[in-house]
Amino acid sequence: MGGSHARSLASLDEVDLVWLVDVDLPRAEALAAEIGGKATASMEEAFSDPSIDAVLVALPTFLHREAVVLAAKHGKHVFSEKPIARTAEDGRIMIDACREAGVTFMVGHVVRFYHEYSSIKRELDAGTLGQVATVRSYRISPPVMQSRPWFADLEKSGGLVLDLLIHELDTLRWYFGEPKRIFAHGLSYSPIQKKRDFVTVSLRFHSGVIAHVEASWAHATFRTGIEVAGQKGLINYSSDDSSTLRLERTKDIELDKGRIPAIVHMRPSNHRPHLIEVQHFAQCLKSGEPVLVNGEEGLKALEMSLAVLDSVRTGQPIEFDADGQRITA
Amino acid sequence: MRFANSTGHTLKLVNDMSQTGTSAPVRIALISLAHGHGYSYAAAVQAAPNAELVVIADDDAERGQAAAARFGVPWEADYRETVKRDDINAVIICSENARHKEMTIAAAEAGKHVLCEKPLATTAEDAQAMIDACAREGVQLQTAFPVRFHAAVVAMKQAVESGQIGQPLAIAARNPGRCPHSWFVDPDLAGGGAVIDHTVHVVDVLRWMFDTEVTEVYAEIATRMYDIPVDDTGLLMLRLANGLKVSLDTSWSRPASWPIWGGVMIEIVGEDAVLSLDAFNDNFQMSRNEGAPYSYVGVEHSGDPEMVTAFLNAVEHGTDVQVNGTDGLRALEVALAAYESAKTGMPVAIGA
Repeated sequence: MGGSHARSLASLDEVDLVWLVDVDLPRAEALAAEIGGKATASMEEAFSDPSIDAVLVALPTFLHREAVVLAAKHGKHVFSEKPIARTAEDGRIMIDACREAGVTFMVGHVVRFYHEYSSIKRELDAGTLGQVATVRSYRISPPVMQSRPWFADLEKSGGLVLDLLIHELDTLRWYFGEPKRIFAHGLSYSPIQKKRDFVTVSLRFHSGVIAHVEASWAHATFRTGIEVAGQKGLINYSSDDSSTLRLERTKDIELDKGRIPAIVHMRPSNHRPHLIEVQHFAQCLKSGEPVLVNGEEGLKALEMSLAVLDSVRTGQPIEFDADGQRITA
Repeated sequence: MRFANSTGHTLKLVNDMSQTGTSAPVRIALISLAHGHGYSYAAAVQAAPNAELVVIADDDAERGQAAAARFGVPWEADYRETVKRDDINAVIICSENARHKEMTIAAAEAGKHVLCEKPLATTAEDAQAMIDACAREGVQLQTAFPVRFHAAVVAMKQAVESGQIGQPLAIAARNPGRCPHSWFVDPDLAGGGAVIDHTVHVVDVLRWMFDTEVTEVYAEIATRMYDIPVDDTGLLMLRLANGLKVSLDTSWSRPASWPIWGGVMIEIVGEDAVLSLDAFNDNFQMSRNEGAPYSYVGVEHSGDPEMVTAFLNAVEHGTDVQVNGTDGLRALEVALAAYESAKTGMPVAIGA
């Protein structure tokens, strides 16, 4: 995500991209040559620069804490890619460090900046569906284990649940408030997890809403969707159904009898949620307005995700109190 | 003439009853049209070469007479007289769930084979009593699970068994629908709401497809859509004896304006492929200026004719029905366990 975020920042009038930090210095130098900024392999060097106001962290999850705490110590505002951290303890330390330093801390739950999900939030808040009964949301992806091994490493990243499923949990908590009970099935602790992972979650919210969430690293194509059913009606969004461009590959199809053709649904768009997200962060720093996803919000989404992993592992439901604090040990 | 079938039960041979005017070997009384599937089953009987729809019994006179006129058969008010007729040898029961037991037992005691709408009963005790009565009287009891006869479901089973998806890893399933209202939302007649109505189809398919049993049920159940005394929202998390884990949404989550009654969707995630079923998606879309503004119509393949045909053939030939009373009971037990789990918030073990 770092390269993508850097390009977003470089394109914004209100932002000067000063440093690009990467332990892989040639990678940082190559990007700097393309979009501007100075390259370094040292966070200390960049963060101690008095000319910078803020830091964007796109490190692997298990390294978030070190970078965010260091940025806070240097008095810099921080945007961290999601999930906030690998453990709730790390997340709490990061929040405390930012609060003590008096800096703003935002976690990059970008789904809140996708127009379909923010529009659904608007409809729900307007009461369009009346009381919501049940929700299904999903985030389906091809396996990533071979191309990005650290993503699949449960210890370092939290795997499918902390990388992908967390988007749905943050979004549903944004819509429906604190969870009451979480129960999950999944492959995260099975031997097949090195190759495929798939998780289904039953959620009960204190508001009464029942939700089913599905995340996959076991499908052939990427897609997302959400269906919300309420007393007054139903909202259904699916990225496949919303595609505006479809590619059917036919190259060599005559020579490859029996092969299932690859059909790719696409939705080319000028809507750029990742850009809107970092722009929101920059504008909040300028205006003093609160960010949409602060550290506490990021930590709550992480705690829900950790509950999913624990339920997958133990086969037991995990309970939360009305403030979203976990009750089940 | 009597003979033993492969399960050791003694079955009455249908030709014992060939003294009536019809030459059809299977002669059916349809008992009650409280459940709308009865119309589809009646049509399937009339389309079958080996069967005749002889009579419709329904204590709702208006409904019964209208159906009798539609299918061109006589109407009777009292099923207890109907089951004793000697010009029928089997009944199809589409009454309210709680009345399945009395009707099935009456039919069995009159020596008639039974095809009973799902869920088989509202309690496990009632379902067992029905199974016992039919075994005792030497008649067949088939639970009406048409979904496993649906061509796409059959093809799904074949694809799994032929190894096309590799090792099955997980399943996400749903059987959502519109709220059927009427007696379906009366706890005394239905035995529950969306969960008892929509758990059993998919559970039956899974038991059949994987030749396994459900061993654990966790469920969230609520009434949040309608002002009704039964549940309209349900989410089940199941463990199967073969190790597979399944999620199953049973909610009556489709608004009244939804273009089709609902659907059965089953996604099986395998090691080599993902296989997704949307059994009632074979429709065309119609938009009109009047009436229902947008609907799916036409080419719905329900599995109903295949399911009815299987029953008629089993009765004609004295062979075992493909979906028996125990299959109905096992599926019902999952729904009942879901209600128990929802009360406690904990998983419930079954079938130990």
